[in-house]
Amino acid sequence: MKPLLKLHDRIRPLFKQGAPFHVFKPVFDAADHFAFTPPDETQHGAHVRDAIDIKRVMMTVIYALLPCFFFGVWNAGYQYNMAHAIAGADFLDHILRGLIIVMPIILVSYAVGGFWEVLFACARRHPINEGLLVSGFLFPLILPPSIPLWQVAVGITFGIVIGKEIFGGTGMNVVNPALLSRAFLFFAYAKSMTGNVWIAARGDMAVDAVTGATPLGILAAMPDGLTVADAIASGQISFMRMFLGVIPGSIGATSALACLLGAFVLLATGVASWRIMLACVLGLLSAATLATLFGDSPMAQIPPHYHLAAGGFAFGAVFMATDPVSGAATKAGKWIYGFLIGALVIIIRVLNAGFPEGVMLAILFMNVMAPLIDSFVVDHHIRRRRQRA
Amino acid sequence: MGFVVKKGFDIGLAGRPAPTIVDLPPSETAAVYPLELAEMKQRLLVAEGDRVRRGAVLMEDKANPAFKLRAPQGGRIASITRGHRRFVEQILVEVDPSAAPEPFTAYTPADTLTADRDAVLAQLTTTGLLALIRQRPFTRTADPAAHPKAILVNGMNTAPFQVDAELVAAAAPTALQAGLDLMTCLTDGPVHLCLGENAGATLKGMQRVAQHMFSGPHPAGNSSVHIARIDPLRINDVVWIVKAVDLVQIGRLFLDGTLPATRIVSLGGPGVRPAACGHYRICMGGNLAPLLQDTLTDDAVRVIDGDVLAGTAITPQHHLRFCQSSISVVPADRARHFLGWTTPGLWQRSFSRLFLSSWLPGRNDWPLGTNIHGEERAMVLTGHYDKVMPLNIMVDFLVRAVLAGDTDEAIALGILETDPEDFALCDVICPSKMNVQEIIRKGLRLIEEEGI
Repeated sequence: MKPLLKLHDRIRPLFKQGAPFHVFKPVFDAADHFAFTPPDETQHGAHVRDAIDIKRVMMTVIYALLPCFFFGVWNAGYQYNMAHAIAGADFLDHILRGLIIVMPIILVSYAVGGFWEVLFACARRHPINEGLLVSGFLFPLILPPSIPLWQVAVGITFGIVIGKEIFGGTGMNVVNPALLSRAFLFFAYAKSMTGNVWIAARGDMAVDAVTGATPLGILAAMPDGLTVADAIASGQISFMRMFLGVIPGSIGATSALACLLGAFVLLATGVASWRIMLACVLGLLSAATLATLFGDSPMAQIPPHYHLAAGGFAFGAVFMATDPVSGAATKAGKWIYGFLIGALVIIIRVLNAGFPEGVMLAILFMNVMAPLIDSFVVDHHIRRRRQRA
Repeated sequence: MGFVVKKGFDIGLAGRPAPTIVDLPPSETAAVYPLELAEMKQRLLVAEGDRVRRGAVLMEDKANPAFKLRAPQGGRIASITRGHRRFVEQILVEVDPSAAPEPFTAYTPADTLTADRDAVLAQLTTTGLLALIRQRPFTRTADPAAHPKAILVNGMNTAPFQVDAELVAAAAPTALQAGLDLMTCLTDGPVHLCLGENAGATLKGMQRVAQHMFSGPHPAGNSSVHIARIDPLRINDVVWIVKAVDLVQIGRLFLDGTLPATRIVSLGGPGVRPAACGHYRICMGGNLAPLLQDTLTDDAVRVIDGDVLAGTAITPQHHLRFCQSSISVVPADRARHFLGWTTPGLWQRSFSRLFLSSWLPGRNDWPLGTNIHGEERAMVLTGHYDKVMPLNIMVDFLVRAVLAGDTDEAIALGILETDPEDFALCDVICPSKMNVQEIIRKGLRLIEEEGI
């Protein structure tokens, strides 16, 4: 790799202050530091440092997302082939079809998100942040496979610019940029985000409502007279299918199993907080149990553990709620924050028939509340210190 | 009584100093660095060419003229170097071994038990050795007017390559005992001797002090941890802390009646040849160059006064500093690794579990250098720092309060119970490569200047 390093050293002066390309210094630095670790030595503080850096942390999140990505590719293709009743489609056909559906969405997300990140980095002379690698990957995975590409571009633009860059970039944002992007699309282009959008379809053919509905959609629009027990008995709603994720839904978020694999990576490496994940699950189960006791709508009556595998909960709890920038930072705060996310998911699912899926809104709401929760915890800590003194 | 410290991290650097003492030949030059005593307002009392005895006054503190900085060796003042704002940076003495030392009051071991507080403090102040006794909060030179509620003597070394207190104590047990006895004269409260797992018979055999055993990873050996566990600082409390190895020097001053001419320092680190890692008896203020010139592995090294985590970088041509008891050397590391963010990480050291090495049995010979291993990034509140902070401190929020200049909040969050060195491991493990020690140091300085 010596020649590449030499090349970098030769063109580096072009990006110095006052040199022709100095505006693009963040771009050069990003490429340079992507290829080779920086040569900087410690100037202050501890003289030796840990090998960890943000690049590695972010890459670990990407690795953890890969099971969801691969499953999502297969599932998007599989659902397409099933809906279009393509005879004889095998595993490879599903994958190829899935790649055709999913890759453009991911490429647009990275390209447009990357454009804004680079623009802001050059204009404000801050380094290009690795956070984009994760945000640009998370966002496509929580979109319906039928999303128009221009909406992907608009969504990631809103998330990166309004959600992150105007606050000063990665680390300064209040809410999760990927989720904000999705919420923007959800409210601005509701037609692309609700209804029969969960299977990619050819332009001339609409997927019929029954095959295209997600389990939560079925529950939210249950005809009168049909009970949850009937739906489960008839196989319309199956825990196993939801757990494995072989259902219509967001590209990468349908499979709780794939999310569990990701959770394993994140927890084994210590990148994500186990407290938040566990608290989300506990909050969801407690609220769902209460709902089964006191609610009578179909959504309230499904067994609590179905909620764990349904919709985007697993994906949200593993990858979205645990975002350290927008989540709670204190130990106690993490428990409260996670628990309330879980509980809010159930409240939204059960009480609001208009939003059968509540995970996105629950996490965004708690993102906004996280600093407040931390503030309470810190105040409590200070009060205890005072009492001791 | 035993205290177990759970949170912390031992880096396991290569180059542990061996428990052997090598006597170095007398140094031809000796130097003092007055800026080391940051609080002293300098009034220079000698000129170039003056002849001085060991222990002769070189400088006094304008704010407290009783406090003197004295010559570490007798001889002729060869040069006085001034730096920023004409502060004296270095006073260099050409050593004349025949010059007799300046006499001070000598005590018998029995005297040290019943000594008068004011007399002891006067002798410590006029010899400058008072600077070895640090006062908390703010870790400044002990104020003779203050009445500490306790004195904590630190006989531990958990930071990499600090001098082995047991070895130094064993070389001069009566001096250490005399030092401890003197400490009991300075406070109405108790004198605590804090010992680690590697304390030997000499340290454990010390009389008339309360002994406490601490075990666990670094920073179990930091005085802040000892204070918090034994007798936490409350509002308006003052405690004094002193290292056992410094107490040996104080004991020798009082027993001999002269400024100690030598001290034992440790030399260690991945930048030192393994055979040379050990302890050396070196002249006070002596030139380090003869010691360092043929013991280092490479020319590209960083020499550090103190430990690798919280020490100060010095040049290899430096002389031994007044408060210095250890020399650490790490290789200067500017190596660039191809696609470093995705390598399995078998050869990289990390507190996190993101590297293969973290999953394998612990190594004790990491040859870490000065590389930052990353770039500075925005601070993210994660609670990550708290994993290496055994004190009851919410590090993220304390750092944030200091960065925001909110001194009230910083005090409420307990900054006064800490010293920058307690945050050294936060520096080490931070993925955003923040300089937490530096931030806390600025915060403490701001509070000290503004008053509480």
